[in-house]
Amino acid sequence: MSARTESRPDGGRVLRALLYAALILFAIYYLLPLYVMLANSVKPLEEIRQGNMMALPQVLTFEPWAQAWSEAKVGVAATGLKPYFWNSIKMVVPAVIIVTILGALNGYVLTKYTFRGANILFGMMLLGCFIPFQIALIPAARVLGFLGIAGTTWGLVLVHTAYGLGFATLFFRNYYAAFPTELIRAARIDGAGFFTIFFRILLPSSGPIIVVTVIWLFTNIWNDFLFGVSFGDFDSQPMTVALNNLVSSSGGVKEYNVHFAGAILAALPTLIVYIVSGRYFVRGLMSGAVKG
Amino acid sequence: MGSLEIDSLDKSYGAAKVLKDINIEIEEGGFLVLVGPSGCGKSTLLNSIAGLEDITGGEIRIAGKKVNDLAPADRDIAMVFQSYALYPNMTVRGNIAFGMEIRKIPKAERDEAVHRVATLLQIEDLLDRKPSQLSGGQRQRVAMGRALVREPQVFLFDEPLSNLDAKLRVDMRTEIKKLHQRLGATIVYVTHDQIEAMTLATKIAVLKGGVLQQAGTPAEIYNNPVNTFVAEFMGSPSMNLIPAQAGQGPNGPTLSIARKAGDPLVLPAPEAVAAYAGRGVLLGLRPEAITDEEAADRNARVVETASCRIDVLEPSGADTYCTTDLGGKDVIGRLRADAPIRQGEDATLAFNLDKAVIFDPDSGERIA
Repeated sequence: MSARTESRPDGGRVLRALLYAALILFAIYYLLPLYVMLANSVKPLEEIRQGNMMALPQVLTFEPWAQAWSEAKVGVAATGLKPYFWNSIKMVVPAVIIVTILGALNGYVLTKYTFRGANILFGMMLLGCFIPFQIALIPAARVLGFLGIAGTTWGLVLVHTAYGLGFATLFFRNYYAAFPTELIRAARIDGAGFFTIFFRILLPSSGPIIVVTVIWLFTNIWNDFLFGVSFGDFDSQPMTVALNNLVSSSGGVKEYNVHFAGAILAALPTLIVYIVSGRYFVRGLMSGAVKG
Repeated sequence: MGSLEIDSLDKSYGAAKVLKDINIEIEEGGFLVLVGPSGCGKSTLLNSIAGLEDITGGEIRIAGKKVNDLAPADRDIAMVFQSYALYPNMTVRGNIAFGMEIRKIPKAERDEAVHRVATLLQIEDLLDRKPSQLSGGQRQRVAMGRALVREPQVFLFDEPLSNLDAKLRVDMRTEIKKLHQRLGATIVYVTHDQIEAMTLATKIAVLKGGVLQQAGTPAEIYNNPVNTFVAEFMGSPSMNLIPAQAGQGPNGPTLSIARKAGDPLVLPAPEAVAAYAGRGVLLGLRPEAITDEEAADRNARVVETASCRIDVLEPSGADTYCTTDLGGKDVIGRLRADAPIRQGEDATLAFNLDKAVIFDPDSGERIA
């Protein structure tokens, strides 16, 4: 490789420059919407009305952000997105924790404590992943009503737990399938029970797949709109629903700068989760695939 | 009363019987090697002893106590796995102490036990490392340390050397043997390597297709195999099984072996062969029982010599192996390295018939 670059130094360099140019071009293309959102969220409304969406702000103001967060009209009440942001947190965090633990336990049982029909059960759980949300709306509403948690945050947690479990189980099952069974046997001979093996042997080696599952679940549940709008009340409606209400609340003028700020606020947590743990995401997907 | 007794053990997965009526016993301090080709059920048998697999019928007793329904941890056993199965997230110290930690043994006692075992196996320097930082041989030692620290009634080894390279395997083999002599522990050891079986065992059990073929001391298994399977499986190069015709001569029963050129080779046979007169049998002779004249065992009672065409000569340093055609089969003999024998020429070979075993060609069972 290096010998080839030496023999044709110019050709290699040109190719490399072209490659980078193309990559930078694509990066700009994909970052453009984010730029538009950011730039316009810190402009006064008059400046946007002048019609130049692409321009940098002439007057820098964080007023739209403050408005979107705590003052803007969402539906009828002028609360801003703040209460809904907490609604989302209160829904996402428990759901992610519950689903990750249950998914890990499922994966453990399906690979290391197999029983007759384990594969059929797993197949059915996988099938659950591919049932469209819309089909489940009415049955879910019936169940939530029956349990008396319709319209509550816990109701949403339950729905998301049911929907997230299929994928979480798939992730952990495939990861644990590559985990050496001899380790489990060694631990059994050492006297470790079901949960001791799970917490002391299996979980400490599950870092990458836990990260993958958490990112996947966090993103999906945070971004969900349909369940939120169907089963959420004021006390439990998540951020996505509030954002929709914010944008579609007709109070005369369209406050684009506030809408942009709100949209960024709504997307921020998933962005942060991904940036913080993204490198584990890729590594986790790889290790699950390659590890023999 | 043996340290480990296996009494008419059966094991099946659904309709498939993988172990059939196994009876083995090993005395305290004994070294039992379970050997056989892959898929013969030897690992299943070991896992059954460990309690990692349920058995379908029969009884397993450890130190006289029936353990059929006990959990692996309650059987007073320790196991060394083929892949070592070291817990990757724990240090060497953590690995060795894990079992004691589960059994809630006080910390001071644990540390002392770890130290004792580490000294014995010379792994004191490695105690704070993770398994991923160890070489194959070191992992092997740690895995043994984890077993040793329990001081169990019976140690179970599942092909522990098969992941090591050839040189290290021989070293560790010697080390296991030394350890066994020093500790006087009872060991059950699974391998498919018949040399490991011969060198380590006080008792070998040969399995095939879930059936115990023969159990006995290494010498018994080697010299007196009960059937052609055991005869061929143990020993390297394996035993020659020469097709021969049983007959009756003036001095008793004979075996006549066809040769490519010239008259058949006629050898005297034991009395038991008389019943087979006129029928084909298999004459089993190990390569070391077919030698050049000079190398023939002087203490042997019956040594026959015959001229044979040497087809191939394979010098291996200490010995030279020769191949000749007898009864239509390639027969291997073991000559002295400097025997004056040349490839493609006739040479006089000595057959030590004291060592001969004779099998029924149809059933493969031993006749004499």
